[in-house]
Amino acid sequence: MVTATTTCSAVDLAALLSSSSNSTSSLAAATFLCSQISNISNKLSDTTFAVDNTYLLFSAYLVFAMQLGFAMLCAGSVRAKNTMNIMLTNVLDAAAGAISYYLFGFAFAFGTPSNGFIGRHHSFFALSSYPERSGSDFSFFLYQWAFAIAAAGITSGSIAERTQFVAYLIYSTFLTGFVYPTVSHWFWSSDGWASASRSDNNLLFGSGAIDFAGSGVVHMVGGIAGLWGALVEGPRIGRFDRSGRSVALRGHSASLVVLGTFLLWFGWYGFNPGSFLTILKGYDKSRPYYGQWSAVGRTAVTTTLSGCTAALTTLFSKRLLAGHWNVIDVCNGLLGGFAAITSGCAVVEPWAAIVCGFVTSWVLIGFNLLAKKLKYDDPLEAAQLHGGCGAWGLIFTGLFASKQYVNEVYSGDRPYGLLMGGGGKLLAAQIVQIIVIVGWVTVTMGPLFYGLHKMNLLRISAEDEMAGMDMTRHGGFAYAYNDEDDVSTKPWGHMAGRVEPTSRSSTPTPTLTV
Amino acid sequence: MSGAITCSAADLSALLGPNATAAANYICGQLGTVNNKFTDAAYAIDNTYLLFSAYLVFAMQLGFAMLCAGSVRAKNTMNIMLTNVLDAAAGGLFYYLFGYAFAFGESSDGFIGRHNFGLKNFPTLTSDYSFFLYQWAFAIAAAGITSGSIAERTKFVAYLIYSSFLTGFVYPVVSHWFWSPDGWASPFRSEDRLFGTGAIDFAGSGVVHMVGGIAGLWGALIEGPRIGRFPDGGHAIALRGHSASLVVLGTFLLWFGWYGFNPGSFTKILIPYNSGSNYGQWSGIGRTAVTTTLSGCTAALTTLFGKRLLSGHWNVTDVCNGLLGGFAAITAGCSVVDPWAAIVCGFVASLVLIGCNKLAELLKYDDPLEAAQLHGGCGAWGLIFVGLFAKEKYVNEVYGASPGRHYGLFMGGGGKLLGAQLVQIIVIVGWVSATMGTLFFMLKKLNLLRISNEDEMQGMDIARHGGFAYIYHDNDDESIRVSGSPIPRAPNPPAV
Repeated sequence: MVTATTTCSAVDLAALLSSSSNSTSSLAAATFLCSQISNISNKLSDTTFAVDNTYLLFSAYLVFAMQLGFAMLCAGSVRAKNTMNIMLTNVLDAAAGAISYYLFGFAFAFGTPSNGFIGRHHSFFALSSYPERSGSDFSFFLYQWAFAIAAAGITSGSIAERTQFVAYLIYSTFLTGFVYPTVSHWFWSSDGWASASRSDNNLLFGSGAIDFAGSGVVHMVGGIAGLWGALVEGPRIGRFDRSGRSVALRGHSASLVVLGTFLLWFGWYGFNPGSFLTILKGYDKSRPYYGQWSAVGRTAVTTTLSGCTAALTTLFSKRLLAGHWNVIDVCNGLLGGFAAITSGCAVVEPWAAIVCGFVTSWVLIGFNLLAKKLKYDDPLEAAQLHGGCGAWGLIFTGLFASKQYVNEVYSGDRPYGLLMGGGGKLLAAQIVQIIVIVGWVTVTMGPLFYGLHKMNLLRISAEDEMAGMDMTRHGGFAYAYNDEDDVSTKPWGHMAGRVEPTSRSSTPTPTLTV
Repeated sequence: MSGAITCSAADLSALLGPNATAAANYICGQLGTVNNKFTDAAYAIDNTYLLFSAYLVFAMQLGFAMLCAGSVRAKNTMNIMLTNVLDAAAGGLFYYLFGYAFAFGESSDGFIGRHNFGLKNFPTLTSDYSFFLYQWAFAIAAAGITSGSIAERTKFVAYLIYSSFLTGFVYPVVSHWFWSPDGWASPFRSEDRLFGTGAIDFAGSGVVHMVGGIAGLWGALIEGPRIGRFPDGGHAIALRGHSASLVVLGTFLLWFGWYGFNPGSFTKILIPYNSGSNYGQWSGIGRTAVTTTLSGCTAALTTLFGKRLLSGHWNVTDVCNGLLGGFAAITAGCSVVDPWAAIVCGFVASLVLIGCNKLAELLKYDDPLEAAQLHGGCGAWGLIFVGLFAKEKYVNEVYGASPGRHYGLFMGGGGKLLGAQLVQIIVIVGWVSATMGTLFFMLKKLNLLRISNEDEMQGMDIARHGGFAYIYHDNDDESIRVSGSPIPRAPNPPAV
């Protein structure tokens, strides 16, 4: 979409030219000039589409890279005996998500025109007559798909190490194909009832909720779904011993955790700045260097600052609380900082992002302490990180959104952050978003997990959990460093009997003292 | 192309009347400047697009290295990863010296290119350095594939020789036939196309995947299976890879890089199909990313359930291979089919891979990465798929509408395209067999191909690469041992 259109009226131009010659030739001159200007206008339009699609496609590829990052984070955070299982769930989140989002998820999210609750237009199911009937292109579909599978991935972390594989397939398809698209419709579609980009003048509280890249839509949805899964199926065996003390079931590879964290960080540069969807747009004729490209860059900066501040804060606070430096905790803090800034990254000043990250670190530590108290077990602390820090991120936006940026990103004269003098309407909309997401995800995913539990499809047996799911259900252990470890040459009975390979590792093995 | 911005000062001056020459010159000068700026912008945008696509394709090298590492036994990890590094390094040199010239040297005959050796007279009107880098990234992908088939039992010098020959000669010639505007089977030919259409292999199911896979097939056939793979001629023993985490990491990185491999093969993004509208080459590129995704995902799901039925459990490494087979298959037709057709492609690719693997087991053929089955088998299916499902509208947009552009059989386009695809399969199998088959046979005769039995049992890292890849405890670190003490056996590390 070109902001200033180059138009030309041959008749008007001819009248201006006619003083120098007869009217026929000035009309011809004017026609010629107008057609050239029309060509220029078309070329500009083509150029803009090419630039914007390049930008959005590469952003989509980066968001996809987060899938890889989360797979590595998950793998490193669980015990070695469950590695193949958790990685398979990550691969399948992406694969099953592609089919369900293509068939109907995308239509529920962005089918237009529709009502405020859910997308309905038949032309978007299975991308039929797309992109002709929309204002967007395939790059937009791919970008939204990459977001959808991120949400499902988050949930898999909460229920890791003790969930039946068929339960993963069912919840993942339901979440990516229905629960998540509906939420994204509310807050991101131009028809959505709470969307800040709602086209008719019917904004929630005159503001709409601002969740630019999805602290609520993605992170809270994934985190609250995970919360219910983990609550319904209970903690892992050995996590809380008989006296109620918590035992850390440490992950098997810090290298994979850090690799995964850095890949998520890398991909976040598609997740946050990419959510502008276009880059070629000027904001201010008097300052031709300032445009959407500046906002995109600023968003990458706020993202970076929030994560880094959260990481540093976590480093020192855990040093105080636990007595040593801990890279795993710092990685989680870093990711919490990113999850929080995701909501307001486009509409706050860089200094405010530092505040965001600082507070995030404490929010995460607080939620982790609460989880421990309530005997809630989450192998990736996904509910605490994505749910808790995501919610804080929405509140943060209601406090610190700057007037100039809000009006640039969302046109009009809008309410902005409370602490910036913008009144309480935006904050109120943010709080509504938190409540509504918690409510919707609870009434959809909660009964789903409960139903699976009742049908005995959710949690694996205690024997399988002790042996490790890779052995019992995935064909064997993930790692084989010596030829003797290759169990495929041994009879099945021998394989099932092994709990863990002999090793001098310091990873504590869970004991059967529960 | 959009309407050109032109201006003739003489004509304009006449229209503006007497004393208007200066005005006309001025206006024409401004329009000329505008035109130049647009041309500059288009080159900048297209080069940005192609360069970043090239970097993504290069990331596949990293993905394949991790996939290979995780799929072989720990005692051979350093060896296989070194071959991956060297594929890229040696390929870089030889493709620059003559590979690119054989492939795309302008202008030349239908068989092989003859100009631009060492990038002489470069850049040309049609190709810039970004194009060279992009094509280099493709060339090293083909060589990488072959290394998977002959892993765990091949002498390192054999790797260097086959890799240079494949990247510097065998592969470039094939890419010339199907991708150069001069190639005898290329759909980019302006006239005299094969069966009136040329073979459509958009990003290389045949040119890259089949070439790599068939070359690997001959290497693995000639040197025979790994020790212990088919003991006493009995049924197969799975020699499992040492790290499923590396396999998944590698697979996801390949997936990530494929977004450069397939959509990037348009090489340009700023081409309108109807200037001023929102539909242009950028739409085709986005659609290509979508078809790629859907094919891989469908293949992954099909493999998941297929293997669950066949073997009784869920298997992440099989799902990863199925996923990659889906990508290898859609690579030929990603730009000319509808998204729903890509789902069909992925579904069948999964079955093709399972079938080829069963066949390999029956024939006692050992391929540590199942590279010949995946890249060769699924690549061939991908070429056939195009002949069946290519859509007329997309074929005309991608290759230029001209009378007689043939399209997919099932879409009503007749059998000519399918005929060209079959010719491509036959010709690639023939050419690669004649060249690489002979090379591997000669290497074997010169005793340069397979390592000794002792080295194979011990593992190549210890025998030839300076030591084991992993050292998890200080006692295992040989460098601090007193010389003369026995080399320790591989230790038991708990992590990746």
